[in-house]
Amino acid sequence: MQAAAQILDLGGPSERERAAPDTALFPSAAAPFRTGHGEVRAHHGEIVQGIFPSGDGGVEHALVTLPCPLFRARARFRPLRSGPLTVEPVDRARARAAARLTLDALGRAGWGGSLRIESNIPLQWGCGSSTADVLSTVRAVADAFGTVLEPEWLARICVAAETASDSLMFAPGRAVLFAQRRGSLLLDLGGPLPPVRVLGVNTEGDRGVATLSLPPIPYSTWEIEAFRPMLGLLRRAVERQDPALLGRVATASTVITQRHRPKKSMPQLLRLAEEVGALGVQVAHSGTVAGLLFETGAGAAGRVERAREALRGLGLRESCDFSTDLQPEAVS
Amino acid sequence: MSGTVINANVVDAIALPRIVWLRPNLIGLAFNLMKLLPARFIVRKALEEGELAPGGLIAETTSGTFGLALAMVARLRGHPLTLVSDPAIDPPLQRRLEDLGATVHIVREPGPTGGFQQARLAILEQVLADNPGSFCPRQYSNPNNPASYAPCAEQLAHAAGAVDCLIGSVGSGGSMCGISSYLRLLCPELTAIGVDTHRSVLFGQSDAGGGRTLRGLGNSLMPPNVDHTAFDLVHWVGAAEAFHATRMLHREHALFMGPTSGAAYLVADWWARENPDQLGAVIFPDEGYRYQDTVYDDAWLAAKGLRLEALPRGPVEWDRPHDGDDPWSFHRWGRRTFAEATGTRGGALELVA
Repeated sequence: MQAAAQILDLGGPSERERAAPDTALFPSAAAPFRTGHGEVRAHHGEIVQGIFPSGDGGVEHALVTLPCPLFRARARFRPLRSGPLTVEPVDRARARAAARLTLDALGRAGWGGSLRIESNIPLQWGCGSSTADVLSTVRAVADAFGTVLEPEWLARICVAAETASDSLMFAPGRAVLFAQRRGSLLLDLGGPLPPVRVLGVNTEGDRGVATLSLPPIPYSTWEIEAFRPMLGLLRRAVERQDPALLGRVATASTVITQRHRPKKSMPQLLRLAEEVGALGVQVAHSGTVAGLLFETGAGAAGRVERAREALRGLGLRESCDFSTDLQPEAVS
Repeated sequence: MSGTVINANVVDAIALPRIVWLRPNLIGLAFNLMKLLPARFIVRKALEEGELAPGGLIAETTSGTFGLALAMVARLRGHPLTLVSDPAIDPPLQRRLEDLGATVHIVREPGPTGGFQQARLAILEQVLADNPGSFCPRQYSNPNNPASYAPCAEQLAHAAGAVDCLIGSVGSGGSMCGISSYLRLLCPELTAIGVDTHRSVLFGQSDAGGGRTLRGLGNSLMPPNVDHTAFDLVHWVGAAEAFHATRMLHREHALFMGPTSGAAYLVADWWARENPDQLGAVIFPDEGYRYQDTVYDDAWLAAKGLRLEALPRGPVEWDRPHDGDDPWSFHRWGRRTFAEATGTRGGALELVA
């Protein structure tokens, strides 16, 4: 785990903080504090996950997640000038570590407090439950001192607390190619992903996998290079807001990952997607969920229904059904 | 790619093609020198994987554009380069290669089988054996040749989305098999049309009966990098049609390209007329400068009996690959293996990898 001081070195205060110093940055002052809140929406796995050029001539493991407004984590933090740092539920050790890192980064070394997390994000499905715990915690701690941290800062703290992190700190309105092991942004795609309706399936019933313990996939040269055209088509999909192209990118990434981390029902799912006219199949590359992608709106209703029936025929249980452009209010 | 960045060197600056509309449903990928992509990638991977030491000798057999691309890459990366060629190499190219620091070794006698190409391979093996630690890119068998075309597929996917058809000439198999493999990951239904020439063994003709007038595509040996199962259709284009189409590409679109581009354009333009509801992309591998005294010279064309007044409206369909000089023909290859499509085991000779 990185030391908090390193995080400070890496980040530095944002433009806004330099322009208008926040009292939170000056612990010696009689700074006000309050109960802080943080909220994070989950994702439903990725559109693409693989290896991409990093701009300095090297390559990075990176991903683009598919936002999921159905699931979310909320954190509440009550700071104390001294004393222990407690967390509920008690097994959220990474969130507790993130709270400590954030306190240190804000100049509150030695402070304590009570952290409480509520989340309906299924564990180990590959929906970002761990990052959501950590990220909602960091936001809540920052909020307790009246500070809003930039996504780049949040990413660094998340990686320090987790070793790898999802890109949930970037709003769903901003699709990014995110290097999950470094916590850095490789490419801002310049807009949101085109909206899609997702019919989700957990390929392991309702079980999950421990995602952080998985070793990196040993991609072949051809496969590493294949992520370039996927990124090219993804950029086109974002620029044109074309869900059909997004589906093609998702299927391509799914097919490559399936070679290395086979999900047992994937051949049937890929066939099913073709039969019912889905746009594509996406997966949690380090998880157990997969999603059939459709256009949003009434036009795809018939295809979604046929897909639902076909899933039942295969003995696969539908785990969720949502549109990525669903307003958050609609699901609260 | 053009843009606001300053490239590290000219190879990076010009490796990717210009993308231009040729018809409402046809896109041209116009390269300065397409072989820069495999040359750059093969050398980079060889360095990464320790097959080539920093500053180590690179040796290859080529009399064409791959040699020029290698010479540029080797110069910029600081590698000595030996190229084994035959007397057909044109003097301006040889001077340019030597200006880039390459040693050009000309083989004077063809081999007993496989012509000059086999003789050149024998010399190459000798150069490699004499220089421990040297590296041969082997564009005909190195899988990093087709793999090198991913940036081109990326550019095309970004610019055009999902294309229905890719058309291009086939020589080593690198560009067509590489680009189509990447595009098919995203568009499995992509139609791939390979353009070959008569007396090339690539798709089942024999190379007997004199050399090929149209150079830069086709082969007398079968490169392992030709994945026959990539191709839905194969066209055989003769020199006269290819040269005429090269000139049309210049006259109608101001694209000054070589005759392999003309051969691909002939087929692509026909495909685009036949398939108005689909979107195609055609590969133009190099520029016209090397052909100013030949393809771009009407007197030369007339003297060679290669001057056409007009192009045939379309190709003749062959129900199977066979020998013959039909002006322009095609076969529905159907993504079959060579053996399945021709009923024979292999080409005239397997190229020794």
